[in-house]
Amino acid sequence: MDTWSRATGEPRGALVTPERVWALAQRWYDDRLRLDWRRRSVPERQAILEDSGLTGSFWRLT
Amino acid sequence: MDDLSARVRLFVYRRFIDGGRAPSPSEIGAAFGVVPLAVEKMLRRLQADDDALVLLPGSPYVWMAEPFSAVATSYLVRSSGHEWFGNCVWDGLGILALADHDGQVETWCPASGVPLRLDVRTRRLEPGTSVVHFAVPARRWWESIGYT
Repeated sequence: MDTWSRATGEPRGALVTPERVWALAQRWYDDRLRLDWRRRSVPERQAILEDSGLTGSFWRLT
Repeated sequence: MDDLSARVRLFVYRRFIDGGRAPSPSEIGAAFGVVPLAVEKMLRRLQADDDALVLLPGSPYVWMAEPFSAVATSYLVRSSGHEWFGNCVWDGLGILALADHDGQVETWCPASGVPLRLDVRTRRLEPGTSVVHFAVPARRWWESIGYT
């Protein structure tokens, strides 16, 4: 991670377990094959992040 | 979103799932009996008004229907004869969730080049030792979605 940060000049972001990302992916995309799909509102998306354990300033959408 | 646009949006997803790639405006037009120019306008509305798709900049061609990418990325998803590209690890796993398939997400550590693989079996993620790095804070995810 530090090698990547030095090579790109980008600050280190957030590290998440794949298990948590898998849980997030299942929730985040569970509506995409609905004919009546619409983009979820910011509070709805924020709730999915929080339900997936992604809380704190890094995960705030606004 | 009108009914035709909703069906076109779903058609794009189905083509990704079944065929591994995005349909062209001409293919969409042929499937729905609509001229390609009208399809191109519809795709632009789906991007601008509904945030449903991302088009390749300066073109009417689908780049992303999240979690799918129409261009080759470093996040290759394989499953029983299918291959897809995700936009990131999150999206790679999202493809397996969306398609309801077991499979693998293959990528590489960007700093070392070491191959990394996440396996989903019986809809569960196999235990591993890797971690996922989110480089961009959530409030900036859509500032430059290609980079994110």
